[in-house]
Amino acid sequence: MKKFVGVLAASALAAAAWAAPAQAAEVRIGYSIAKTGLFAPAAPSQINAYNLWAEQVNARGGLDLGGKERRKVKLIQYDDQSNPGNAVKIYEKLITQDKVDLLLSPWGTPHHFAIASVLERHKFPMIGSTASSVQLRNMKPGNIWFTTAAVADKLATAMVGLLQTAGVKSVAVLTNQLPFGQENKKFLMPALKAAGIEVLVDADYPPNIKDMTAILVKVKAAKPDGVIGLAYPGDSILYINKAREIGIAAKFQYLLVGPAIGFFRGMFKGAADGIVTLGHWSPHGDNARSKAFYAAYKKKFKQEPDYLDSVEAWVSVEILEQAVAKAGLDKDKLRQAISTGTFDTIIGKVRFDGVQNAVTPTGFLQIQKGELHVVWPKDRQTAPLAPKTGWK
Amino acid sequence: MRLPAPRETVPLLLVAAIAAILPVFGSDYYLGVGFALFGWIALVQSWTIVSGLAGYISLGHVVFAGIGGYVLVLTWGAVPVWAGAVLGALAAGLFALLVGLPVLRVRGPYFVILTFGLAEFAKYVVINIENALGKFGRLILGGPQVETLYWAMAAAALAGTLAVIATRRVRLGAGLAAVREDELAAETIGVPTVRFKLFAFALSALLPGFVGALFVLRTGYFEPAQAFDPVISFTIVTMAIIGGSEDARGPVLGALFLVVLSELLWASFPQVYMIILGALLIGFVLFAPNGVAGLLDRLRSTGGARAAT
Amino acid sequence: MEFLLSGQLLVAALIIGSIYGLVALGLNLIYGTMRLLNIAHGDLVMIGAYTGYWLFTLAAISPVLAMLAAGALAGLTGAALYFGLFRRQLTGSQPIERIEANSLLIFFGISIIIQNLTALAFTASPRTYQALDTLVRIGEVSIAQSRLVALAVCLGLSAAIVLFLRFSALGLSIRALIQHRTASRIVGIDVDRVQAFPFVLGLAGTLIGVTEQISPFMGFPFTIVAFVVIILGGLGNLAGGIAAGMVLGLIETYGVALTSANLRSVLIYGVFILVLILRPEGLLQRRRLT
Repeated sequence: MKKFVGVLAASALAAAAWAAPAQAAEVRIGYSIAKTGLFAPAAPSQINAYNLWAEQVNARGGLDLGGKERRKVKLIQYDDQSNPGNAVKIYEKLITQDKVDLLLSPWGTPHHFAIASVLERHKFPMIGSTASSVQLRNMKPGNIWFTTAAVADKLATAMVGLLQTAGVKSVAVLTNQLPFGQENKKFLMPALKAAGIEVLVDADYPPNIKDMTAILVKVKAAKPDGVIGLAYPGDSILYINKAREIGIAAKFQYLLVGPAIGFFRGMFKGAADGIVTLGHWSPHGDNARSKAFYAAYKKKFKQEPDYLDSVEAWVSVEILEQAVAKAGLDKDKLRQAISTGTFDTIIGKVRFDGVQNAVTPTGFLQIQKGELHVVWPKDRQTAPLAPKTGWK
Repeated sequence: MRLPAPRETVPLLLVAAIAAILPVFGSDYYLGVGFALFGWIALVQSWTIVSGLAGYISLGHVVFAGIGGYVLVLTWGAVPVWAGAVLGALAAGLFALLVGLPVLRVRGPYFVILTFGLAEFAKYVVINIENALGKFGRLILGGPQVETLYWAMAAAALAGTLAVIATRRVRLGAGLAAVREDELAAETIGVPTVRFKLFAFALSALLPGFVGALFVLRTGYFEPAQAFDPVISFTIVTMAIIGGSEDARGPVLGALFLVVLSELLWASFPQVYMIILGALLIGFVLFAPNGVAGLLDRLRSTGGARAAT
Repeated sequence: MEFLLSGQLLVAALIIGSIYGLVALGLNLIYGTMRLLNIAHGDLVMIGAYTGYWLFTLAAISPVLAMLAAGALAGLTGAALYFGLFRRQLTGSQPIERIEANSLLIFFGISIIIQNLTALAFTASPRTYQALDTLVRIGEVSIAQSRLVALAVCLGLSAAIVLFLRFSALGLSIRALIQHRTASRIVGIDVDRVQAFPFVLGLAGTLIGVTEQISPFMGFPFTIVAFVVIILGGLGNLAGGIAAGMVLGLIETYGVALTSANLRSVLIYGVFILVLILRPEGLLQRRRLT
């Protein structure tokens, strides 16, 4: 029997290994993403950007490998079910079993954070996208970078600037327990205090919160000028529903992640007008790459790109492509190229300082008449900030 | 001293043989699979001490692994790695001793759902502690190499198997079996049921604490919702029921079967894997309550009978 | 602390409480009469929520009508499980303790299967839909129509069921069954009829689905809550269970308002553990019929 079980195990493992042939014809690029689960509503924005890029690269004749040859790319995607623990296992699998040539990033800060140690262990460089983490920045890892300008400490400063412009003197701060929200809060609170903006309500809540009544009843009673919802997509939806039901009348209402996704505006129509959210990109500038990206995305997917997530994902592959063109697929050379290079992207030139984008300024978007406009920083704004007037 | 019976030697040899063979492939992937396999063997063996022998079915065994993992990250950097893992084991055992007295008074199905609730409760408490500490997941950079972890986990699997064999041989094992058959009667004939149950509970928590710490070292990442994931408890129970929990063979067979199945399915077909798991659980409870080990015994005894005629 | 007096908060607590009461009523009847520990209880709620979602999204059928279809579907699922898996066991010769323990594991397997089949069919992504979202104002309280309907239906239905069981012959025999735990298999015929009751779960599920996010894994918390409620209210004590549902709704809503939404799960599981350890037979247990 022992022998039987041994044979069974060996053959099953062999079958598993057989599923991962080492092909030289294509550059195999792997990633995992929240195709299902809590974060799934946000993931298509990023997947679309990846697929569009792969299509364009292959149409160009393939990925330029250090100027020596061009090879077509093949994306290998897994569903991590919104579970960071699964992402850890999948990236380990992509590296050790599927033996991919390159990695793309998953969706969201928790997943980026979780896989950082896998990347370190295997010394495998990966450019992050829809994430940022001061905690990780302080640990100085060498194989992950964040394209976004939305880092918690920079965001806090920008937010205070925006609040002062809007004449907001008191706020309620509602924070999702997930890392990005919490980190934002950690830097925002002292910044608010220093600016003399009073915090009337300070409430944390779990990622899978079902009912916000208790929190919003407090907010309504406190009558703040502004509501700062450090929210993710699911709870952003919940907030709009509940704030409308209870009648939150603050003139400034901000939701961290969610409103930039296309379906959000469609779902709430007029009720979402006036909501401010995170984002620093707009198709209206004079960046040629940016215009080309916007047109191609709209043509292929019949909808606008997500101004935050599609953009960050696109920037990450733009950088990867340019770094590989310089360094090829060798991991050490690639790491070197990414950390020291300057790259042309749809958000302008990007260069990294440690894990962080050292160039792009932090910004905010607002939904106005169903369209997203950059309202901060002032020198990039496509429309001035407007107060939120009711829920229509 | 009784000579070892095949049902004692077979699982030990099987674990040792797998441990010796896998490194030959020379790939991190196989070491990773082996690491997971040994982890599950250690967990399921430990589980059978209280749930198989004494019949107190725990649906919350993940709580001990979670505690072990949490202690490891709390002590990370303050004490040597292996001391952290051992502390994790001790903390899990201590936790079992503390909650054991009230929890083990509850019997039958109430005990099952209570252990589940307890594990979820612990999970949410740790989530809130971490939140209050301003930690939103913790990273462990620079832990031991995969090979080191592999051998440590193989040792844990052997230790778990030995623990089950040893427990069965001493008075504790007989006492626990008596508890399972009829607790009241056992008490009447002088079995110190409370003490035995408590001891078994703590014993079944120690190794899971260690395994939980190794899990964290392996992923390099700790987050309470992962470390206390109820699916781990569910998998332990399913492995024990598929393999059988009558002796030390069952957990090895059950873990081997499900680890191979999960390697084939989890990444690409996670829901299918869970559905198969559920179906196996139902099937074995209804039709083969003693698991694969029981089926093998039945096969052999009918085969033997036929040979004799 | 002024917000504690808000009518809005009280109404929220009553809505949650009435839903808990109704969901627990189903478990009370099933567990009370058959000692089947139905861990898959909440998954029938989930099935009801999806039924409402699809009927509204695909055919624009109002949740008020959809809940009848959902009730039927949940009732059928419950009955299929009973007749397919458990009836033979209950009428067989196994000791009741063995059946209890086995039923728990089997239902656990069923629960996993239902959840993952749903995830496979509809993905695990949470869904919401906007139905009955007109705002109704009652004094200072502003409330979505959907939640008002949930409150009315749950309270009305719970009351109707309790009255029916109190004053009908079937009700009497069911309550007698609950008091004599081993008798259930002897009078199997009455137990068969109880199988119709999971329909309330589908109904409740539709109402829950209009007011919260729908996902394949949304049911389990309701199972836990239902256990807490029937243990608090006393096994077989139907009116006590509804009262206990209200109490839990109040504890949850005001507990969260006073502390933090983060502590909701700690609160629920804390109460769960405490009642199991202190009084597994129920806190508000009625004196036995003599």
